[in-house]
Amino acid sequence: MLDWMVWTVPTALVFAGLAVLLIAMTIWGRISPPVARRGFLRIETDRGDRLYIGLISAAVVLAGWIAITDLSMWLALGCALLVAVVIGIWG
Amino acid sequence: MTERTTVADSPAGVAEPATAPAEQAKDTRVDARPKNNRAWWLVLPVVVSVAFTAVIPLMTVVNYSVQDVFSPSERIFVGLEWFRDVARDPEVRGAFVRTLLFSAQVLLIEIPLGVAIAVAMPRRGVSVSVALVLVALPLLIPWNVVGTIWQIFARGDIGLGGWAINNVLGVNFNYTLDSTDAWLTVLAMDVWHWTPLVALLAYAGLRSIPQPYFQAAQIDGASGWATFRHIQLPRLRGVLTIAILLRFMDSFMIYTEPFVVTGGGPGNATSFLSILLSKIAVGQFDLGPAGAFSLLYFLFVQVLCYVFFTVLTRSGR
Repeated sequence: MLDWMVWTVPTALVFAGLAVLLIAMTIWGRISPPVARRGFLRIETDRGDRLYIGLISAAVVLAGWIAITDLSMWLALGCALLVAVVIGIWG
Repeated sequence: MTERTTVADSPAGVAEPATAPAEQAKDTRVDARPKNNRAWWLVLPVVVSVAFTAVIPLMTVVNYSVQDVFSPSERIFVGLEWFRDVARDPEVRGAFVRTLLFSAQVLLIEIPLGVAIAVAMPRRGVSVSVALVLVALPLLIPWNVVGTIWQIFARGDIGLGGWAINNVLGVNFNYTLDSTDAWLTVLAMDVWHWTPLVALLAYAGLRSIPQPYFQAAQIDGASGWATFRHIQLPRLRGVLTIAILLRFMDSFMIYTEPFVVTGGGPGNATSFLSILLSKIAVGQFDLGPAGAFSLLYFLFVQVLCYVFFTVLTRSGR
């Protein structure tokens, strides 16, 4: 039934990871509701906003990396995750 | 789900209607907590339809972007190869710069022009309807028809505009041969087609400003410019945010009109991202590179819109 979607293991893992992330954020939000505050981004964000900004920034890092340099994409992934974590905690 | 109705279950609240302000504040804080979340089920149809029309197709695009697909059973995983190819393709980079330049020019022309038209439009009387219809007219015309109109209008031999520029102004103008002429034709067409949207939004915003503001300005002896700068413009912030976002997204994704007028030419002078993308996806049927291309395109639009939106809505606070 899902043949036409031509799934691969890596893409399936990425989407499953995103789904898990969203579910986890929902549960976390239930347990302790998010609080909006200001970090180095200078705008008021709660943890959901920071997750979104972090993920988008990580994607930008990956896209920029692949456009500019031939260095390993694993290194890019490391940098992207680091950016996402930094924004998530101090953003 | 926690189900608790507040008013009916709290006889104390009914017995003591006169609560102190501090207690009321506490009450609203308690009320703000979720009590019955069943209303969320009403969102389900939207979730299902968005999943069907957007999320599942997007997932498929992602899957295509990492493979070379011949058929569902015959496909090769290529990793990020297409992304690397697309991101380094000079043709794609050229189209990217061109599209960005086009969007910037569209915003720089259409937003001030739209606001100026809105300020100049009549406020009362029969002329309001006449002005509204005249201004809104270009918005009612389908994209491909706009393209056809301008394709003929700008021609030097049979088009009124092209003929006038060539014979009255005496400037040699031919959008099928000269890339600057082609660019200006597409830009003029977009300005003609979409400035009315900005004008109508700005007009609605201007109409919603309460009259006392203008009376106060008059009493203070404010000039027309000061009234515009300090009363009208700040009050247009909301509608202009929407106008800028809409015009950016639309102009950044422009396809039909340049496709009809110039087909991306002459050379690649007006081949914008969407025209190049459809050439790769539909013309050459290279679905892998087209998938990677669309994802990068999507990411850029997403980032820019988020930045616009954040800057425009949160900078005042």
